[in-house]
Amino acid sequence: MQLRRLNLEFTMYVIILIFLALFPLFASDFRMEIMGKIIVLIIFAIAVDLVWGYTGLLSFGHAVFFGLGGYILALSYTFQNGVPNFMARFDLHEIPVFMKPLLNIPLAFLLGMMLPALLAFIIGYFIFKSKVSGVYFSIITLVLAQLFPMLIINLQAYTGGANGLMGLPRFPVFGRPLSLFSYYYLVLLIAIAVYLFAKWLTSSHFGKTIKSISENESRARFLSYNAGNYKIFIFAVSGFISGLAGMLYVPMNGFISPQDTGIMMSTLVIIWLAVGGRGYLMGAVVGTLIMNWLSELLSEQYPEIWSLFLGLILVVIVIFLPHGIYGSMHKWLAAYANRREKYSNKISKVNRGVENAETTENS
Amino acid sequence: MVYVQQITDGVSVAGLLFIVALGLGITFGVMKIINMAHGELITIGAYTAYFISTWGEVPFIILILAAFIVAGTVGYVMEKLVIKKLYGHPNETLLATWGVGLILQQVIRLCFGPEERSVKSPLSGKIDIGQIVIPYYRLFIIAIAIALLLFTIIIIFKTKFGMQLRSISQNREMSECLGMNTARIDTLTFAFGSGLAGIAGVILAPLKTVSPTMGLSYLVDSFMIVVLGGVGSLNGTAFGSLLIGESNQVLATFINEVAAKILVLVFIILIIRFKPEGLFRREQR
Repeated sequence: MQLRRLNLEFTMYVIILIFLALFPLFASDFRMEIMGKIIVLIIFAIAVDLVWGYTGLLSFGHAVFFGLGGYILALSYTFQNGVPNFMARFDLHEIPVFMKPLLNIPLAFLLGMMLPALLAFIIGYFIFKSKVSGVYFSIITLVLAQLFPMLIINLQAYTGGANGLMGLPRFPVFGRPLSLFSYYYLVLLIAIAVYLFAKWLTSSHFGKTIKSISENESRARFLSYNAGNYKIFIFAVSGFISGLAGMLYVPMNGFISPQDTGIMMSTLVIIWLAVGGRGYLMGAVVGTLIMNWLSELLSEQYPEIWSLFLGLILVVIVIFLPHGIYGSMHKWLAAYANRREKYSNKISKVNRGVENAETTENS
Repeated sequence: MVYVQQITDGVSVAGLLFIVALGLGITFGVMKIINMAHGELITIGAYTAYFISTWGEVPFIILILAAFIVAGTVGYVMEKLVIKKLYGHPNETLLATWGVGLILQQVIRLCFGPEERSVKSPLSGKIDIGQIVIPYYRLFIIAIAIALLLFTIIIIFKTKFGMQLRSISQNREMSECLGMNTARIDTLTFAFGSGLAGIAGVILAPLKTVSPTMGLSYLVDSFMIVVLGGVGSLNGTAFGSLLIGESNQVLATFINEVAAKILVLVFIILIIRFKPEGLFRREQR
């Protein structure tokens, strides 16, 4: 059975990887950009899956970490061309002191992961150190996701306000911007690395502890695991990866706006996870791929129906298919393997019985 | 003088917030259902008011009753079709009601269009006390808030339905053993909470523009209030809305509105850290 489970995930992994790796060879630039964006969102979905799927904490605020990372990198790019227009409009003729570190792109890149992780750590510290139920966590993160875009719009002089930041180049870390083609493969490589890291993390002792906390927190506590610290840590790791995803998203999209940091973005990723199957890394991959392609195909032609469909699919999945598409596949296969194993055991028992009978007859 | 004006404004904002949060105080506070469609129920109330007021001059009380019935019916159906299947799974309820919210929002947009609508205020004019100006409608909001609080208290503490509701929220199995139809009470309670959200929509409609997406910010405000005041306590909800209304209004004069909201959020996170049951929740045995 263990082998079979590995097989399903490994097969999917190989198929999807080959598909994604060969995609740019056949697709137009437009489709390639969409696919690149989806790969970035897969990284984001994996980050959310670590928190929701594996630890059972439903966060509505992950777009804040995503957006924070994205904005840090976007600001850093914008500053490369001198003081941006939106600052000059507010009589800021010099980049403010607290934003000076962003002039250095590699440093900004580091900050774009560290700051979301730090924010996640602080929030996690306050919520998980007290013994409130997961619902409070969802509500606090919801409020956070509501406030963050408002904050960005409000701090117009520093962030560009509601218009967002536009015309951002593709990763000019090494001087010249990358081409879409090479950037696509860079993102794909990072996505593979994140996937393998998450795989390693969740199958390690730490990952098993996290899972046991989500299944029965008080029992894990009795076994002397400090559940709060574990949750804080995984939340911070997730914030880190979300920040990374946000930073990869900005060059792919060429622009970032406050909408990318709000409640809608956070709930979209939750819907992808619910569809794909939370608690499975491959579920995050499958859900993100399916839902985003559907969205690209449907929302272009029927934008009104799309939102309705999104709501319907969420209700239907939650009630009828709680493990999502990949999760259910996984469960069916496991049950099938289980049955087969029992059946073959029975057959071998019967055979042995016949043999025994034959040997007694012969003697 | 500015501060006195801000504080009096704050009281009416608090009244408004209380009306908005009261329905959630029932569904989330008493029944422990995280109803993410609360905002859309408010929107439904507002659109009911808009729809009826396009017919001509209709007394405001009719609008309130109609919105209560419409939103209550939607809540009734929602509970029967979706929430009933998910009791005991808070995260799943949260997701499913969010889905319902998306559906409702889109249905409203398809029916009424994405434009912003407005409803005429039933009371115009204002009174001046010294330099303080109080529009009549703001006084009316405070009156409605108090009336709704009393109405809810009477329903919960003085009727048979309320008694059953309280006993179920304390001990479901025992109540079932005593022959209560808990499923029916659940449905009715949820419908009641939804109806209150509908009333909030009517009260909001003359003040703000009516649009399909108006519900979201009120959803967030409501959750903040209920969590701050203590889940399951009506007094807590009233106090929470007073605190948040006043602090938003008064802080907004010193710093801007968003910064005020962030301060309130930080305050709530601190409250949850040190007093996880909320400000007004009594210790449970």
